[in-house]
Amino acid sequence: MTWVTLFLYAGATALSAIGVVFGKDRLLGRSVLVAAVGLAAQVASLGFRWVRVGHGPYLGFYEVSAALVLFVVATFVYAAWRQPRLASAGIGVMPVALLLLGGAMLAQGTEVPMTGKLTSFWLAIHVIFANLAFGAFVISFGLAIAYIVRERSSSGAWAKRFEKLPAQDALENLTVRYVLVGFFFWGIMIITGAIWANEAWGRYWGWDPVETWSLIVWIIYAVYLHLHYTLRWHGQRLAWVAILAMPLSLFTLVGIPAVFDTTHAGIGGLGKDL
Amino acid sequence: MRRIVRFLASPRLAAALLLFIGAWVTIATFVPQSITSPGEIAAWDAANPALATVVNAVGLHDAFTAPAFIVPSLLLALCTAVCAWQRTGVARRRARVLREVSAAGLANDFALAELSIPVASDVENDEAYRRVVATLRELGIPGSRVGDRVVSVSPWWTVWGTAIFHWALVALIVLMALGSLARASGQMGVAVGQTRPDQPESYGELTAGPLYRWASNDRSIRVDDFHLDYMAGGISRGPTPTVAVLDGDGEVLESRIVYPNHILRHGSLSIYPVDYGLSAEIAMLDDQGAEIQRTVQLLDFDGTSPDGTAPVSEIGLYGSNGQVLNRLIVSVPLDSVPEGFLGRIPKDPSAHVVVADLTGAVLLDEVLRPGEEAALPLGGSLRLLGVDYYARLQIVDDPTITLLYIAGAIALVGLGIATLARQMIFTAGILTESEARIMAVRMRLWRIHTTSKSEIESELRRALGATEGSA
Ligand code: HEM
Repeated sequence: MTWVTLFLYAGATALSAIGVVFGKDRLLGRSVLVAAVGLAAQVASLGFRWVRVGHGPYLGFYEVSAALVLFVVATFVYAAWRQPRLASAGIGVMPVALLLLGGAMLAQGTEVPMTGKLTSFWLAIHVIFANLAFGAFVISFGLAIAYIVRERSSSGAWAKRFEKLPAQDALENLTVRYVLVGFFFWGIMIITGAIWANEAWGRYWGWDPVETWSLIVWIIYAVYLHLHYTLRWHGQRLAWVAILAMPLSLFTLVGIPAVFDTTHAGIGGLGKDL
Repeated sequence: MRRIVRFLASPRLAAALLLFIGAWVTIATFVPQSITSPGEIAAWDAANPALATVVNAVGLHDAFTAPAFIVPSLLLALCTAVCAWQRTGVARRRARVLREVSAAGLANDFALAELSIPVASDVENDEAYRRVVATLRELGIPGSRVGDRVVSVSPWWTVWGTAIFHWALVALIVLMALGSLARASGQMGVAVGQTRPDQPESYGELTAGPLYRWASNDRSIRVDDFHLDYMAGGISRGPTPTVAVLDGDGEVLESRIVYPNHILRHGSLSIYPVDYGLSAEIAMLDDQGAEIQRTVQLLDFDGTSPDGTAPVSEIGLYGSNGQVLNRLIVSVPLDSVPEGFLGRIPKDPSAHVVVADLTGAVLLDEVLRPGEEAALPLGGSLRLLGVDYYARLQIVDDPTITLLYIAGAIALVGLGIATLARQMIFTAGILTESEARIMAVRMRLWRIHTTSKSEIESELRRALGATEGSA
């Protein structure tokens, strides 16, 4: 089932790439449809796994990454359904989903059991908001990429290919919007995480690398928002900040255990268990 | 004063402080910290001698308590307070405009119209209004027809999000700073059946802020029971004590089985289990066999000791002159050497009692079963009363946590409003000016993210024009 998902996401990525490069609007619509079917397949695949391992997709590298991919694609499909003109942003979004799912599948076999430390109502809230925030950040990333490609196309050829997208200023506002939504969800993730840490470990903040990095990402996006709202940054340089910040949020969510020792190994678990 | 406020309200300063704090914290994650990995600092310094000089000079091993972190954070709090004050003013002004628009019943909006968009002659009035509503909807704005107007006016509270959020951020930073001054947190080992006063001498490890008042702590902590592997909800909760908090008269104030995510709370006090070990209760007897004193010796599992356990601290035995002459070292020989959390009381428990003098010469080395006695070299004897578990508890008394939670919740509500609620005024109505009809639009977008003013204008022009016709 995961292979079916991967195949469909690859299809959606290819369709959106062809749609954009050759300026075929119909293919863009199809790419969203294929992504939606892939999404259904992924929901089924993660659902089966949930039943088999007895807990939701939040333990170990595969589950965490797959859940992130699920939320990224779901956010994208939702955005493109609400505003079909956003479909071409898929060219920035779907490759992220595809690569992350592909990477996650390398670790598909690892199953991390549920432990007493994790058994908490806060876990669900904490994890859902982490996923939602990442979904929003990836959409802002995709929109910022579309913005820059269009802006840099001196001949206007690329501008034509992204014709359906909203005008540049509206596209920029949308990027800010998604950053803001992501920032909000990330804030919920941090605060619920702090409450949960207090329940589980007896401290709400301990400067563990995962905690610290989640704060770093929050600060970076706060800087982005201030650059826009208070220092009136616009255009490409603002878009670049959104593009560069997203990989840091991904690193925080799945990459930390590979680099640092953390009590949070459950969240990323690259080669670690709890 | 004015200049200071202007300085603090500068957007550049806020961005610079945020960037600095972000950068400082990022660097700190690559340098061992005394709070998370104290054991690695010396090795890191030795491996990076050149960097170590700089790191130690700026306090990067204590990055989160160093002045280089605290001072900018407090300055940021101050800036944020100034900005929150300004955002409050902005919100009040915007709220007033929103109220005026509703109160004026839209009467004066033609005079204030910012856009005049020609309506094509083949488009009826009703159709024109329908197209305006449809265009707005396509751009993600909910608008509706009210009489001969299309309106979309946000409710008054939508403009308050940013101010609330920034005030709550100030509160969070201040509370965190206050918390570190007013909090006591430490670890206390309590054997099953033992009661210890909640005072500094009962703690092994303790950090207490200068504002924490021990004198008002007339309470004690007791452990009533211990399960090596407690099951709840079908999941193993690990070593789990039952803990009680008693008042000065020994009345139970609160009692609970505590394990992760199931902690004991009493007012601002919270108690969590951290670890466990064994305990040996010992009575000291005089030469006539009368009991003089009882002590509870706490023992940690220790793979390097031959018995598998080692005392948390040694006991001094006093001579008649009141000076420590001998050391008493108690351990409990395990059935097998434990690995991690598997250490358990032996089937047939006993205590291994060693008395050494200050030079380390062993004067007594015996194994006692419960009830057995050994004569001490300095006179008198000791009796083993029993062997049990002890729970190492993390005890935190932090009066700011509830307030922090409240500030956090308010911050999220404010941010939620700033993020999700539209702050805008849009009214449009048809005016007839010598044959031609125009759609007069009044539009204020304070915060709108799904579109822009120019996009709304161009889409409306398209929708109301005759040539491209439909919206
Ligand atoms: C603790 C540090 C701070 C954080 C995390 C933070 C975060 C944010 C966020 C997330 C937003 C966008 C959402 C909203 O409008 O509420 C924002 C907006 C804003 N912030 Fe901050 N902020 C901080 C400190 C400051 C400071 C010191 C200033 C003053 C220079 C400031 C001034 C503003 C302004 C003017 C806006 C735009 C409001 C609007 O457009 O309506 N913030 N901030």
